[in-house]
Amino acid sequence: MTLLQSLKNLVRSRSIHVAYVDVGSCNGCDIEVLACLAPRYDIEQYGIFVHNNPREADVLLVIGAYTPGWEEKLEGLWEKIPDPKAAIAIGNCPISGCLFARPHTLVDPPVAKHIPIAAQVPGCPPRPTEILSAILSVAPTVFRDYEVRK
Amino acid sequence: MREPMYEKDLTAMKYAILQSRRHDGMVREIAADIGVPQLRMRRYLMDRFDMLLLENLPARYEQGKKLREDSPEPERQLGAHLYTHAVPIIDEGIMRQIIEGVREMVRNGASLDQAVYSGKERMRKEITA
Amino acid sequence: MTKKTVDVSIPVGPVHPCWKEPARVKCETRGELVLSAEVELGYMKKGIERIMRGRPWQEVMFLAERVCGICSVIHNMVFIEALEKISAIPVPERAALLRVVVNELDRIQSHILANFSYCYTIEHETLGMYLLDTRERVMDELERITGARVTCAYIVPGGVRFDLRPEDALHLRAGMDTLERDITRYMSMFEHGPLISLRSRGIGILTREAAREAYAVGPTARASGISDIDRRLRHPTYQKLGFAPVSREEGDNFARVMVRFQEVLQSIALIRKCLDTLPEGPIRGGGIPGAGEIAYSGEAPRGELSYFIKTDEAGRVVEISIQTPSIMNIEACCHYMLKGVASLADVTSTFVSSDPCIACTER
Repeated sequence: MTLLQSLKNLVRSRSIHVAYVDVGSCNGCDIEVLACLAPRYDIEQYGIFVHNNPREADVLLVIGAYTPGWEEKLEGLWEKIPDPKAAIAIGNCPISGCLFARPHTLVDPPVAKHIPIAAQVPGCPPRPTEILSAILSVAPTVFRDYEVRK
Repeated sequence: MREPMYEKDLTAMKYAILQSRRHDGMVREIAADIGVPQLRMRRYLMDRFDMLLLENLPARYEQGKKLREDSPEPERQLGAHLYTHAVPIIDEGIMRQIIEGVREMVRNGASLDQAVYSGKERMRKEITA
Repeated sequence: MTKKTVDVSIPVGPVHPCWKEPARVKCETRGELVLSAEVELGYMKKGIERIMRGRPWQEVMFLAERVCGICSVIHNMVFIEALEKISAIPVPERAALLRVVVNELDRIQSHILANFSYCYTIEHETLGMYLLDTRERVMDELERITGARVTCAYIVPGGVRFDLRPEDALHLRAGMDTLERDITRYMSMFEHGPLISLRSRGIGILTREAAREAYAVGPTARASGISDIDRRLRHPTYQKLGFAPVSREEGDNFARVMVRFQEVLQSIALIRKCLDTLPEGPIRGGGIPGAGEIAYSGEAPRGELSYFIKTDEAGRVVEISIQTPSIMNIEACCHYMLKGVASLADVTSTFVSSDPCIACTER
């Protein structure tokens, strides 16, 4: 591994920009993601910055069970995120549809059908600490040696 | 040039809104009151309103119905305030013309029911045009 | 030479840095002045009412909670109280007061979150972070009592799930004291901040008439001087506690945020009163939901929440229709407040000041 590559690895693991997108949840997971911003969890000491701008993001948090309104749009949003990137499914909804996956529903889970998901955090909703540790454990492994692998 | 990504046909989503129980009851009531087919009414609402207004229609309709009872004739029977402000399916200017027409007919000796009927005929024309 | 202005249609959203949830506001603008706004939804429509139909109440209870994750307690409460009204199930005195405690805690955290969003949107991050930190402490109290932070399913027909332990009551009392001190401080920071005033006062005005027409509810309506629509006035437990709603006259962004601050203080007082008058006794009376039909409303953090429910003998929900407060408030916001807003930067802050919850709106 070149020096430049190891430097890049180091920098990437210490600076993770996060965007979140809600594709049809109950809002519970949204506010738990928002609670991560609170001084109690102090997300920025780990180098995570919640940005909510897909064009500058490294990690996309996907919340919700994929409603018809997001057809073609979620894929477009995923394309707009520059490489290297990773998507994390937050909560039960993007994994299985939770209790919205019943007869007569409008949602179409799982989200993994539409964009590649790197990690899943189950829970309805998961605790902020769980979300935080998922981001922290996924980001370094996904971003390490990106240029070499490519 | 790529197509604008977010402009898409919303008809299916708007129809999904109108399917809820409250909306369905409201559309039936309005359609029966004015005298147009329900399908026509739904189509007209979907074309005319944005999605948020569609969601809020039952609450506005209930509120408008209360006010309707207190308004004078022939506005009460025509639902002048209800159909221009609460559920704005008819433009204010046209409604004013309709009310004028109805008053004119009453002055010329027609009964109130007859005059209101012809006023509603105008409203039907507006909606089905 | 006069400046040339052009009419442009500017879409805001669906993914926007300031918004928690997706919605798309299309603003027709002349220069920077907003002439009118149109809203496109459909990003959150899950069809909850369709799923609920024909299911037993035990399942619908959890679905009702997940209509909105921010104010889940009130959805739980209104649905269960509607069932109790249908089948005449009595509630023990202690349980009724515990319901109020949990509901008011939920209201506090929801209001603090809404005010955090507003401060964050007008870029006052310091106050926003103070508020978010305070909210975590309220969530702790909620978790101590109910066992979960969000969607706790605390209220069941005929009572509540868990009793309030004496040590939790002590903790809650102490927590309310610190909360009151903090909120009073943040409130004066917000009230006297000169830059906050510039971004908030006189912006996004909702007149009393417009609020009546769009049937705005909750803090949005109370900031425009309409206070008689608070459903807590008609709730027997709140009546016993001597509840009186707050209201302000300005109807702008500032008033809406201040009303929420005042309501947090009011909720603290209500919780204290509940703890003072909490009688000893059972917390669950039991009872079986039966057949019936009812339209029942309660006061959510955002305003009046109505459930129309029809059940059969087995307790299955045959027909259900939910009218959430956000529907009316966002409608009032987009079609009345946004009209005439002087700049596009104020569009986001005005939208956020009405405490929008798209998940409720679309269900």
